Amino acid sequence: MKFAGAFDVKAPRPAVWEKIRDPGLMAACIPGCDSIEKVSETSYRAVVAVKVGPISARFSLVVDIVREEPPTRLVARARGEEGGRASALSCESLLSLTSLGEAGTRVEYEADVDVTGRLGKFGLGIMRKKVEQLSEAFVAAFRGRLEPAAAA
Amino acid sequence: MSAFVRHPASVEEAVGWLASIPGALPISGGASLMAMINARLVEPSCLVNLERLEELRGLSLQADGSLRIGAMTRHRDIAGSALLVGAHVLLRQAAAVIANRPVRNMGTIGGALGHADPAADYLGPLRCLDAEIEIAGRSGRRSVPMSQFILGWYETALAPGEIVVAARAPPLPAGATLYRKVARVSGDFATISCALRLEEDGRGTTARAAIGACGPAPLRSETAEELLRGGLGDAEAVARFGAALQAHADPIDDVRGSADYRLKLIPRVLASAIAELTGADRG
Ligand SMILES: Cc1cc2nc3c(=O)[nH]c(=O)nc-3n(C[C@H](O)[C@H](O)[C@H](O)COP(=O)(O)OP(=O)(O)OC[C@H]3O[C@@H](n4cnc5c(N)ncnc54)[C@H](O)[C@@H]3O)c2cc1C
Repeated sequence: MKFAGAFDVKAPRPAVWEKIRDPGLMAACIPGCDSIEKVSETSYRAVVAVKVGPISARFSLVVDIVREEPPTRLVARARGEEGGRASALSCESLLSLTSLGEAGTRVEYEADVDVTGRLGKFGLGIMRKKVEQLSEAFVAAFRGRLEPAAAA
Repeated sequence: MSAFVRHPASVEEAVGWLASIPGALPISGGASLMAMINARLVEPSCLVNLERLEELRGLSLQADGSLRIGAMTRHRDIAGSALLVGAHVLLRQAAAVIANRPVRNMGTIGGALGHADPAADYLGPLRCLDAEIEIAGRSGRRSVPMSQFILGWYETALAPGEIVVAARAPPLPAGATLYRKVARVSGDFATISCALRLEEDGRGTTARAAIGACGPAPLRSETAEELLRGGLGDAEAVARFGAALQAHADPIDDVRGSADYRLKLIPRVLASAIAELTGADRG
């Protein structure tokens, strides 16, 4: 499943970059993220819980930063499984940051998410809607962190 | 499956179990729940069987003319009920086209509401009839209008541990009704559905319509219904009505049809249903 989107943040590009590379802040913004643990400068372990209607799943993910060009581009790969290996998730994503000058920064993202196993059976149509909902929640939380004035 | 089963004798006992046993789920007909358990989509620790709850049984007409359908009422019994008259006939029309006979013998209206499949056949008719859903939980009883019952994809206003006790439809002016289900084959879930009733008052006839399977909840626009008043025979007015409902749609792509196809069907299905009910197609 491919996703793409963009959002603007009222903060300068280096500040946005710094937050994107801050695991503590990402953990707080990713919906359902229980923990992020730093393994190395480019590798993290995360636990993320997802709920689609009656179905709940917890994924243990390994997130690798495959390539980065601060403060403009970041390519990351996440892979993981649910306990009991009932389903697997993998995601490749690309983030690009463009400076909008006074107006702040535009964040563009592209992601390719693949879910297999029991959750895949639930129907990709619904999974897509769910991922879209989660992205919206993430953007709202992320903006809230970078635009304290707007949140107040 | 290792879940144990409870057979409560009252609604209070049922919601007590659901609140106090972590991972417990209510079970009614089991048509959807057993399939989900078999596919390991859900793994309840305990099933609270609602079968014996007297309060959840059957249909009844209330003194004020409203209709009450207990949550445990099977699709089969709704499809065959003589208590459904006037606009309420819409529910009978919808129940009759759910899946196939075995599923209609098993499934219940409470289970359909708890599951909230966006393609479930009761959702549009209940919305179209301005129904309310009676809910019970450990902290008491409440009633939620159908317009606020579905909050998202397979997400309802039910808090964990709450159950649907009944659906209640208010008395409505008599008028012709139609439930149109578009499915790939007979017995399948709807690709799109349209619940329609005509309502006439001094200001002219209008259509009350709810489109199913084109978003997490049925689509309805009371504003567009008012604009349509008196214009049921006017193809342009009907097209504007369709466009207004289309604007609220958020369909998915799935094996039953692409999102795009569903969007295109909305005004067509609506126009053909209106033509059928007003007799325009029998020119
Ligand atoms: C092969 C097949 C085809 C189908 N085709 C259609 C179709 O064309 N159209 C259609 O509308 N439906 C269809 N269904 C769904 C069918 O109508 C189910 O019966 C219905 O969705 C669930 O009813 P149930 O009583 O079997 O619920 P169950 O399977 O017992 O429960 C379903 C879910 O609701 C919860 N639940 C049960 N009772 C309550 C309650 N009182 N309050 C709150 N939550 C509750 C359960 O915990 C579970 O999560 C189909 C199902 C199958 C298996």
